[in-house]
Amino acid sequence: MIEIQDLSLQLGKFKITALNLMINTGEYFVLLGPTGSGKTVLLESIAGLRSIEAGKIFINEKEVTSKKPEERNISICYQDLALFPHMRVKDNIKYGLRFRKDHNDMKYKENFETLVELLRINHILDRYPVFLSGGEKQRVALARALIVAPDILLLDEPLAALHSGMKAAIEAELKKLHETLKITILMVTHDFKEAYYLADRVGIIKDGSIMQIGPINEVFEKPASVFTADFVDMKNLITINELKKKPVFQVLFKHIDEIGAEFIGIRPENIVVSNTYIDDCCCFLGRISYIRNNGIFREIDISSDGALFKAYLTANSCNELQLLEGKEVFFGIDASRVAAIK
Amino acid sequence: MNKKRTESLFIVSFISGTIIMLFCIYPLINTLFWTEPGIILDTFKDQRVLKSIYLSMGAATITTLVAFVLGVPFAYVLARKDFRFKSLVESIVDIPIVIPHPVAGICLLTVISPRSWTGQLMEKAGIEVLGTVAAIVLAMTFVSMPFLINAAREAFKWVSPRMENVSRTLGANHTQTFFLITFSLAWRDILSGMILTWARAISEFGAVIILAYHPMIAPTVIYERFTAYGMMYAVPVAVILILLCLIMFIILRLLAATRREGETT
Repeated sequence: MIEIQDLSLQLGKFKITALNLMINTGEYFVLLGPTGSGKTVLLESIAGLRSIEAGKIFINEKEVTSKKPEERNISICYQDLALFPHMRVKDNIKYGLRFRKDHNDMKYKENFETLVELLRINHILDRYPVFLSGGEKQRVALARALIVAPDILLLDEPLAALHSGMKAAIEAELKKLHETLKITILMVTHDFKEAYYLADRVGIIKDGSIMQIGPINEVFEKPASVFTADFVDMKNLITINELKKKPVFQVLFKHIDEIGAEFIGIRPENIVVSNTYIDDCCCFLGRISYIRNNGIFREIDISSDGALFKAYLTANSCNELQLLEGKEVFFGIDASRVAAIK
Repeated sequence: MNKKRTESLFIVSFISGTIIMLFCIYPLINTLFWTEPGIILDTFKDQRVLKSIYLSMGAATITTLVAFVLGVPFAYVLARKDFRFKSLVESIVDIPIVIPHPVAGICLLTVISPRSWTGQLMEKAGIEVLGTVAAIVLAMTFVSMPFLINAAREAFKWVSPRMENVSRTLGANHTQTFFLITFSLAWRDILSGMILTWARAISEFGAVIILAYHPMIAPTVIYERFTAYGMMYAVPVAVILILLCLIMFIILRLLAATRREGETT
């Protein structure tokens, strides 16, 4: 468990002020934020690698605020992995053991064997890091971080440097590691798709402040702010005042207006497109103004009564519906999945 | 069109490179063949010459060790920490490089001369510096230490602080991390800096002669022989010094160039 109470620090012009965060034991928590939002600084503060100006940090209910990094039992994995280039893979992995008084204990030997097997790195143990592929380096860095049985594993954008195929493989391994070892993980990333696959809960961070915390589906479906909505790729952000001028759309925000939200947000994958009228949801008629081919899926811009909606469709659906720019279509929105955004 | 330009550029580079190579090597080779081997062997037996060469090499080695002990910790701070007036501090480190060496000698003399308060303090403490090996080391250290500090600073900068961070979180304290990670990765470049420092120290003359004409280091002997007896007497000592320096230089360069398998990039 990690508990951060009122953490404040300053780094040049960048500031974190009174940040609070609680991560439960065994949880996979992902902190999402753009570059420069303070993700890495926060991780390094938790690990004791940066001094903080105020606040307290607790690990498993014990305060570690004034403890040195080597006394916290927290491991960190950076995006660039920081493998030691002058050590072979096995020496990289076992590096942390030499500082443990009980390093000859059988549990570490078992840890080593378990991790090597789990991460499938048996065949590269005698190699130097320079001779490893990106995925292999990632696995070695994870094994090195986990062999010391840390209370917390901090992951700093661990997938950012990998190509998509390798990324999917390492994502799956991270999930498997988490499920097998039941370790508490705090990962930071700027990619919401990684968070969606891996996280139990997510937090959104901007300029050193946490904007929203919640279960993954909640943050994705109901972002609390325009920043969060934008960050989790909620393409349809429409001001309620704008929609109010168009009676046809009032059905979308009728229940939302009461709580004083300024925007409604609709995820593009939640808009259904059809050539015929759609029952069981709010259905509107619109014209396709643009189709963007994103390779795997199509992003469809639909203009309707002066408002613009974006929908995601698979290439197959697009072909089956014979969608073309300029064509009139029906599109349906489930009003209960419309988010109120302040 | 572009291809032709590139080729022309390479031709110019080749010519300039050839001129530089000749400029560096030809005077050395010419010196080696200036006198007969017999005279060089006779000079080798001259105790005064041998003593000066030993003194030069010994003082340069002590200088390098002093520069290492003082310079490496300082270089680490310069590589890792940002602080106010850091650029000024880095400029101060480089000052000895830009000062003419006799001037450096005079500056040091103002500090150790019995007329200065520091000199008087040393006199009271019974420490004699002027005209001793200590003065030679002092002059050599002043002019050569920047080479080691700069090399070590760049070497430490090359080691990612993130490796140090990972090492700390894995249980190593700051000192263990420094020796197991930072220094282990930086030592070859630091050794290159030590070679430069040693080479700069052994070739020092201008500052040394101000502080210690005696005991004579090899460049002082060469200077004395040249001014008193001419080229015929100066060249054999120069040849011996060149050969010894080259041997040391090659050994140390080979050592510094040996990279372990994993460290190749």
